[in-house]
Amino acid sequence: MISLNDFLIVSAVLFCIGLYMIVSKRNAIQILIGIELMLNAAILNLVAFGKYDRFFNGGQMFALFAIVLAAATTAVALAIILNVYRQYKTIDPGRIDKLGDE
Amino acid sequence: MKTITLEEFLNDIDTLTIHFTLAAVLLPLLAFIINFSLPGRLHKLAGWVSTIAILLSCIISASVFSKVWNSHHVHQQMLWFTIGDTKVYAGVLLNNLSVLMLLLVNFIALPVHIYSTAYMKDDEGYNRYFAYLSFFCFSMLALVVADNLVLFYTFWELVGFSSYLLIGFWFTRDSAVQANKKAFIMNRVGDIGLLTAIIILFAQFHTFDISQLFADKGVISQSVIQGGTWIAPLGNMPAVWQYIACGGLFLAVAAKSAQFPLHTWLPDAMEGPTSISALIHAATMVAAGVFLLGRVYPLFNGAELTILALIGCFTAFMAATIALTQNDLKRILAYSTISQLGFMIMAMGIGAYASSLFHLATHAFFKCLLFLVAGIVIHQMAHIKKDNSLDIDPQNILTMGGLRKKLPLTFIAAIIGGLALVGLPLTSGYLSKDGILIQAFEWSDGKSGFYKIIPITAVLTTWLTAFYVARLILKVFFGELKVLSDHPGIQIHIGDGGWRYKLPLILLAVCCLFPLFSVSPLLYEQAWLFQGLTLTIRAVHANIYHTLIPVSVNILSVLVIYGAYMMYVKRKGNIFLQSGFLYRLSAGEWYFDRIYNSVIVKPILFLSTAAFWIDRTIIDGFINALADIGIKIAKLCAWIDHHIIDGFLNLLVVIVEAVGNFARRFQGGKVQYYLFSMLVIVLLLFILKTVF
Amino acid sequence: MSLIQALFYMMSFIALASALFVAATKNLVRSIFMFFVTLFALAGLYVLALADFVAITQIVIYVGGILVLILFAFMLSGKETLNIIAQQRGKFISINKVAAFLLAGLFLLVLLNTFFKVDANHLGWITGSVRANNVITSTSAMTENIGVNLMTKYLLPFEAISILLMVALIGAAHLSRKGEKQ
Repeated sequence: MISLNDFLIVSAVLFCIGLYMIVSKRNAIQILIGIELMLNAAILNLVAFGKYDRFFNGGQMFALFAIVLAAATTAVALAIILNVYRQYKTIDPGRIDKLGDE
Repeated sequence: MKTITLEEFLNDIDTLTIHFTLAAVLLPLLAFIINFSLPGRLHKLAGWVSTIAILLSCIISASVFSKVWNSHHVHQQMLWFTIGDTKVYAGVLLNNLSVLMLLLVNFIALPVHIYSTAYMKDDEGYNRYFAYLSFFCFSMLALVVADNLVLFYTFWELVGFSSYLLIGFWFTRDSAVQANKKAFIMNRVGDIGLLTAIIILFAQFHTFDISQLFADKGVISQSVIQGGTWIAPLGNMPAVWQYIACGGLFLAVAAKSAQFPLHTWLPDAMEGPTSISALIHAATMVAAGVFLLGRVYPLFNGAELTILALIGCFTAFMAATIALTQNDLKRILAYSTISQLGFMIMAMGIGAYASSLFHLATHAFFKCLLFLVAGIVIHQMAHIKKDNSLDIDPQNILTMGGLRKKLPLTFIAAIIGGLALVGLPLTSGYLSKDGILIQAFEWSDGKSGFYKIIPITAVLTTWLTAFYVARLILKVFFGELKVLSDHPGIQIHIGDGGWRYKLPLILLAVCCLFPLFSVSPLLYEQAWLFQGLTLTIRAVHANIYHTLIPVSVNILSVLVIYGAYMMYVKRKGNIFLQSGFLYRLSAGEWYFDRIYNSVIVKPILFLSTAAFWIDRTIIDGFINALADIGIKIAKLCAWIDHHIIDGFLNLLVVIVEAVGNFARRFQGGKVQYYLFSMLVIVLLLFILKTVF
Repeated sequence: MSLIQALFYMMSFIALASALFVAATKNLVRSIFMFFVTLFALAGLYVLALADFVAITQIVIYVGGILVLILFAFMLSGKETLNIIAQQRGKFISINKVAAFLLAGLFLLVLLNTFFKVDANHLGWITGSVRANNVITSTSAMTENIGVNLMTKYLLPFEAISILLMVALIGAAHLSRKGEKQ
């Protein structure tokens, strides 16, 4: 039987990798991927704990919701990234430091 | 002399005379002031203002002369200023000498003024000319009546200054500027001598008063030189001071009267207008030196007088030899003036005091006359030059000739003046000059043979004078007009000119004849002027000189003139080589200018260059070094200010800037940085929570 | 060690290794494709956690939806954009990366520390759930149960999510439209 701790360790490592990507990457798309990784770490936890709620399936349910929300987030984020690129000719968030139209 | 009170002054019967004298002196000054304040469009009046002033002055001085001459001395003075215990008086001293000079100056100035109104009429500086002329007359008149040495010195300087103005009258010509500078500087040498002498006399006798000093019973006649000490009533001093005083006075005389070695300014001074030359450099200003000598005559003792005689004699001879070869009309006359002044000084030296002043008077007339003649001739030559656009020097006698037909009156005047200059009988020159010669021979009697050199040289000079005068007149008035034969076909319209030319000539020419001075045409002792000036009545020696000398001198003079006539007019033989050493010496004016240039002018120029160099290099260098040090210190201060004081402030600024930059980074618009910071803080919170 | 455990470790290893590759690589395209692998591995882990419906959803939505969306957005936005986006500047090691690495490492320590302190297997509600036999076993079919719950107990969140999803899609479509402004 797989213990809960194993899931927690895997999700922690995954979360930290996502965290690292968000902080260090200079590319908005990779930052987006980092966010997805962190979301997946959270979903993994939800699923792992959802094993102990057979009647109401709370964990699995919110995992589903999270996946759907992640899809929505990604779609909007990509649209924003494309627009930002059009505006600034770059997608490095470190260099997008001007507001409005110049 | 005690100070006179006002009442006594008013009661004095001489008051009128003094007032007249003051009027005569001040009228030209008034004319000077009027001429200088005349508006430009009235400038033609200037000539008449000056002329009328001098005419009135002349009449007044004639009346003063008639009152004072041979009757009594008039001496009035007032307190001028006081320094410590010394009271200096200023006043008027009239005796035979000063009234003679007063009248002479006025009487010479009058025809010159009349002549000048015509001579200068086309000149741009017409009123300036007359202003200067009046100013000069004022200075000269005041000089002759001044009764004290300080006053005398003042007017002496004014005479020198006005002469400077007049020589440089045409100040746009470089040569005139050079000439007036030269005259002024050489006169300064004499002025220093005069000032030295005045200071020494005051130190010895404690007075400036001329009558106290030099009168018959004056303090100088009471002083003697004994055993190397100069003993005077009020104190003693080493005899050397007396020699210095005499030397100083001699320098003053030499500078003003153009004696060797200070004579070179006079020929150059001919750059002024000819009428000025007539007045100043022939008749009056140069006479100031002789006049000074007459004033201070008692100061000189025997040996000093002999030196004077030698120098005068040498000057007379030297100038006469130079005059032989000059070609410039005015230069010949200038050297002739120097020569005649040498005669006067020589006469003073041999004790012929009266003859010297007599010659001064007669010379003033005939030299003035000759200069006026020269002025007319030069004017006419300039006319020819201008009418025909010729390139000739209007003053060169080689371009003239045959003018006696064109200028008959001028010719006659020139003949009279020339004969007077030579000293032929029936002229005034004969009376004065032969008097000097006779007395020279008498003086050398009973002295060693060496002293004979003076009368012999004087006689020789007389013959030389006869020759150069003959040469001058023959070249100018006889023969053919050289210009005409050189340039055939030129237009010649010349003549004697109007009455303003003729009247002065006639007036002066009459004065050059004997009757004005003596009833006897041959005996100088009977001249009233001579008698009035003689210091001591001496027995008339009817010795052999009185007949031998005039006869021999005059016969030889006539022969010399004839010889010159044959040579220049008839062209029979030329006895003089034009290339010998003597000729070059004479034509080169004995090289005095060159010697002075190399001995005095060049060393002084070198000295000033050296001083300039020292000033530039050493003194300025020192100052520049100081400045450099100052600049260095300032730079150091600037460095300290910039790097330490400002550095401190800059450090503060840098710190603030660094803090600002550091703080700014937290809000630089970088999302990841914000996130990072937030996560770090969360992390810290977790760690803190875990540890504690 | 059972087969289940072996599968778990293998899946975990694949997921973590591919995630590390995603984080480490400089090439965007490669990191995206590696992200596929991570997602598949995670789906496997969900299966091992007895949540097969979630695993299916993961594959359908994540792999088939989000990842394809990312790839399409990335590849359809023109060659120029592609080049610039694919271009990776910067050094292999920079202060940024070191700091991020430290941060991530410290976070990992803190998290692990917390997990071991908490000891998740013996939490109160988990032991209670085990005792009440409220535990999903490998034989129980959960799909039906999830559908019922979704329409009953979780109806309100379900509707809210639906609206949100629609709003997000409309918004994304609006944003990614070719700008009329330019």
